[in-house]
Amino acid sequence: MTRYRYSPIPESQVTPRELFESRRRFLNTGLALGAAAIAPGLLWPRSSHAWQGPLEARIDAQLPSHDLAGGEAPTSLRDITTYNNFYELGTGKRDPEIYGHQLVTDPWSLTIDGEVDKAGTFALEDILKHQDLEERIYRLRCVEAWSKVVPWIGFPLANLLKRHEPTSRARYVVFESIHDPDNLRGQRRSVLDWPYREVLRIDEAVHPLTLLAVGLYGEILPNQSGAPIRLVVPWKYGFKSIKSIVRISLVEERPPSSWEERNPEEYGFYANVNPAVDHPRWSQARERRIGESGRRETLMFNGYADEVAHLYAGMDLQRHY
Amino acid sequence: MDQRTAINLFRLLVLVGCSAPAFWLGWQWFYGDLGAVPGEAVVHFTGKTGLILLLLTITFSPAFRFTGWVGFMAARRQIGLWAFFWLVAHMLAWMGLDQYWDWPWIRREMVELPYIRYGVAALLLLVPLAITSFARVRQAMGWTAWHWLHRLIYVAAALGVTHLWILTRADYLLPTLFAAVLAALTLFRLIDAAIHRQ
Repeated sequence: MTRYRYSPIPESQVTPRELFESRRRFLNTGLALGAAAIAPGLLWPRSSHAWQGPLEARIDAQLPSHDLAGGEAPTSLRDITTYNNFYELGTGKRDPEIYGHQLVTDPWSLTIDGEVDKAGTFALEDILKHQDLEERIYRLRCVEAWSKVVPWIGFPLANLLKRHEPTSRARYVVFESIHDPDNLRGQRRSVLDWPYREVLRIDEAVHPLTLLAVGLYGEILPNQSGAPIRLVVPWKYGFKSIKSIVRISLVEERPPSSWEERNPEEYGFYANVNPAVDHPRWSQARERRIGESGRRETLMFNGYADEVAHLYAGMDLQRHY
Repeated sequence: MDQRTAINLFRLLVLVGCSAPAFWLGWQWFYGDLGAVPGEAVVHFTGKTGLILLLLTITFSPAFRFTGWVGFMAARRQIGLWAFFWLVAHMLAWMGLDQYWDWPWIRREMVELPYIRYGVAALLLLVPLAITSFARVRQAMGWTAWHWLHRLIYVAAALGVTHLWILTRADYLLPTLFAAVLAALTLFRLIDAAIHRQ
């Protein structure tokens, strides 16, 4: 049987990054000059690349890196970026890669509201300039029984929430994804009740493992991975790690999350990775690691039990799945 | 074009149409174009192709009824066997490329997971149909018994659509389409039978 392989690109055909970027700069300069010449006074979009440039520069600098996947090899960048669930861009696994360009990420702003003393809408660049970035290598386990190991770049959600001073009534954190049916093909069909929404308990949200990611593999997040900013909760099934976030609300009473609303029997609010609680239609005991053959045993809390099990002490996890 | 040539051309069309997807799949596999999880892509592709061909097989009798053209009846056995071929390939792909021939797990999933049970049941129902599709067996059976037995294709198709329906996560476009086609074909069959009984 023929093995699965990629057709290799010879080293000689790969454009060096410096050259690629200098071409891009050259083109941009040319375009800018042309536009300035033919349309004086035309408002040049101020915010274009407002957050990308500074973020790229920060990511290119040496960031501290933490391996929280027990030394397991990261999944290849190609596998991470060509096998995704991002229903805003289509329900096929390759749709997010193919239609990723439909996601307009620049400019981007984030609304933080509800039970916080410092509510408001903030440009992404203003959010990021207050945060120290780091690389974190995490396991990612999808509810569909596949998994990856991803080197994320981001910062703890707790650090952001702290800056906005949650009130004592803040018990849950609600996240909302972009809603842009004019551009996002998946949102023109009601597969889910758009926009996508996820919810964490406040103690889960401020847990040091809970990350807001803005990059992976030493690059800005590709669109199919939830650019420009997404949640990563490594001990929960992947659908909890909401992509392309535009709003974070702290609330007292929680609304249902999108999948919970769609089918509460199958997608619980907690959605903690648990090999002992099967999805009603398939087993959760094993998983397929993308890029590997065979199956692995799924780990309790996706291997993060030591860090997070105390959050659920005394709870019946068969019932609160 | 005389009748005989037209029928032969149609049979050739069915042959090419039903085998071409296998070449396409082999090509994609060889060049690594099936994505990050090629085994899963093969399982999905063989299953969809098999189910589409199974539904197409059922359309051949009504097509003959409406048009009166015998070409449909001449190619019906061929397309039915192709559907069976693709569904067997689907099951083998699932066992080998998805479950890696891990027999205890294959057994467990067959017993525990409803969608696997429906799929296996559909395929089992198709086995006697494939065996009795040969002319000599059919003659030995007699027309009435053969005719009754082959109505099982409706049951198998319904099980197949149910299998797809259950494993679908959120996007029900395709299973809805398949279910609607099968419902229309079944309805036609019942009405047709009722008219002929009178």
